[in-house]
Amino acid sequence: MNLLAYALIVVVGVAAVGVGGYGLLGGVAALRLDWLVPLGGLDLVLDPLGGLFLALIGFTAVPVSVYAMGYHDGSERGRLAYVVFVVSMCLVPLAANTMTFLLAWELMSLASYFLVVHDRTSRESIQAGWIYAVMTHAGLACLLGGMLLLGAETGSLRFADWQAAAPALTATTRNTAFVLLALGFAGKAGVIPLHVWLPLAHPAAPSHVSALMSGVMIKLGVYGLLRVSFDWLGAGPTWWGATLLIAGAVSSVVGVLYALVEHDLKRLLAFHSIENIGIILLGIGSAAVYHVAGHDALAVLGLIAALYHTVNHAAFKALLFLGAGAVVHATGTRNMEAMGGLIKRMPWTAACFLIGSAAIAALPPLNGFVSEWLTFLALFQNTHLAAVGQHLIFTLGIASLALTGGLAMACFVKAFGITFLALPRSDAAGHAHEASWPMRVGMLGLAATCVALGLGPTLVVPALGPVAAAVLRTTPLASGAEGLTLRVAGDFASLSTAIIAIALALAILAPLVILRIAGASRRSRAYETWGCGRIVQTARMEYTATAFANPFKRVFDFFYRPTKRLDIEFHPESRFFVERIEYENPTRSIFEDWLYRPALHALQAGARAATTLQSGSTNLYLAYILAALLLMLVLA
Amino acid sequence: MAEALRRTWQATPDPKFVVAVGDCGRDGGLFCGSYAVVGGVGDVIPIDAVIPGCPPSPAALLTGLLEVIGRLSR
Repeated sequence: MNLLAYALIVVVGVAAVGVGGYGLLGGVAALRLDWLVPLGGLDLVLDPLGGLFLALIGFTAVPVSVYAMGYHDGSERGRLAYVVFVVSMCLVPLAANTMTFLLAWELMSLASYFLVVHDRTSRESIQAGWIYAVMTHAGLACLLGGMLLLGAETGSLRFADWQAAAPALTATTRNTAFVLLALGFAGKAGVIPLHVWLPLAHPAAPSHVSALMSGVMIKLGVYGLLRVSFDWLGAGPTWWGATLLIAGAVSSVVGVLYALVEHDLKRLLAFHSIENIGIILLGIGSAAVYHVAGHDALAVLGLIAALYHTVNHAAFKALLFLGAGAVVHATGTRNMEAMGGLIKRMPWTAACFLIGSAAIAALPPLNGFVSEWLTFLALFQNTHLAAVGQHLIFTLGIASLALTGGLAMACFVKAFGITFLALPRSDAAGHAHEASWPMRVGMLGLAATCVALGLGPTLVVPALGPVAAAVLRTTPLASGAEGLTLRVAGDFASLSTAIIAIALALAILAPLVILRIAGASRRSRAYETWGCGRIVQTARMEYTATAFANPFKRVFDFFYRPTKRLDIEFHPESRFFVERIEYENPTRSIFEDWLYRPALHALQAGARAATTLQSGSTNLYLAYILAALLLMLVLA
Repeated sequence: MAEALRRTWQATPDPKFVVAVGDCGRDGGLFCGSYAVVGGVGDVIPIDAVIPGCPPSPAALLTGLLEVIGRLSR
């Protein structure tokens, strides 16, 4: 039964890749069943953008489901929710009218809610599920508002009719609809400051579900943002794109800063999802600004960067979550401080996690590097813009992307180093076991994808070009790929990851070959790590994640606002002998303190004020009804 | 210190030279024969040269080091 459900999803995934690939290559298909759902019926249309996201969902779902076959965790309910989750996600990018879209969207949210609260005995996961439910439904309310507004103004609930009617709408309507829809989608994508649910919900779900939620589900928020910014409302004013760019810049830096001080492996990855959504938004925002300014070729470049990073993030983030799942499964903890030494016990998982870490840290020749490079190029082309304000915003984007890249690198040195290297920090880590074969196959598949996407940008970019052009309704660029080299923006820049890969391989092999030719002895001696001549070496002497993050905590003190608590218990005889020492240095969230808590307090105060209306007296209620009736009569 | 010395020697990759500098390094010097001393460096790990003196004079240091280099060129 376990296998059957996941095998079904593998089949669904393969079908989604097929259909999505057909749409990606320009195929058009439509399905309409009027009787199935009210208000417009089930309406599915395949276009290049929808096809890309559908293929992405399928492509991620296949290795994740293979992995899930070996990850004995799901209950009957969990498997059903998993199937519903994947199928409803597949419907979202195909939906062509409001009703179909909202049904699929809500089904996806509910299914993922049930997966988040799969552990019904843990207080933490129930809390996470609650916050997730509130945030996702606040987002749904925004989407509903925006879509109904557009429906009322254009007189149709079909997305295609909105495109046609968009230029005739008033500026206020378009701006209101944009703000509402963008808020709804940004909440799902986890854009700062709507991200609060993400670091709670992703770790609470089983790891294969986290992989899909982080790899694919939040990408549907990106999909929605693309539709809103370019498709449904036509090209908007410049501030739409500028807002997206600033949101991207803030999300990328804030996401990675939170990840740096996080020692829960899965929460760390969840914060990196926020960061990567930020990087994607940088591409989308630049494309929107260029599009309005009339630089369609540059807009296509920005959009290609965003779409490429979307695909890449799905691959490496799913891989990292699967790796983290294997580690959590083996050690029984998510706390990195209790891991260590796993590279010897779980070599396959460690190798896959290392590839994922290098990819997300944007190291060449892996895929994260290519898409971040493209994003940089898209941002560097701001010299073509006229307004000074836009230059400043683009410069902000460039600076934040550079900072993000460096911090992400540091963060994954920490994540990989503390988790997999050195001596085990706990008994559980010392007795860890390698992941089962289906889990390894799933991870290896995704790792191979990361490498392929990194080495093959000359194939990927020309494939994404027509999608970006279709979204922007312009002609696709002349393909910038020659052999193994990718050319961008004319002769502005070129890149060949294949040559980088060959150079790196040569740099590693050449010394070995030279030594062999020079006749160096190949005798080697293995001995334990040098500890300054120390006799006893224990895991307590190792560098910890907290220590690694501490310099960053000090530099970004204004952001983390850490509180310190030092509790020392002295020996009763002398203060020079310490019996017990406890040190806590937690960070405080700006968004919780300054945004959510005041908002919640205001809501509670408002609710308390409103209770005076409800006195329990039937006479008073009758008076309300009478007053309402009179008001209606007067207004009518 | 003997165990620490042994570990340090083990942890140093080849090729390497060990030079015992000073009378203490040679045989324990002033403390030779004490219950707290195992002996010279040469009693713990293989050594390539000994430079006596307490402290060794610059000339002795030079001689000792040249002796080691002389082995290298041999």
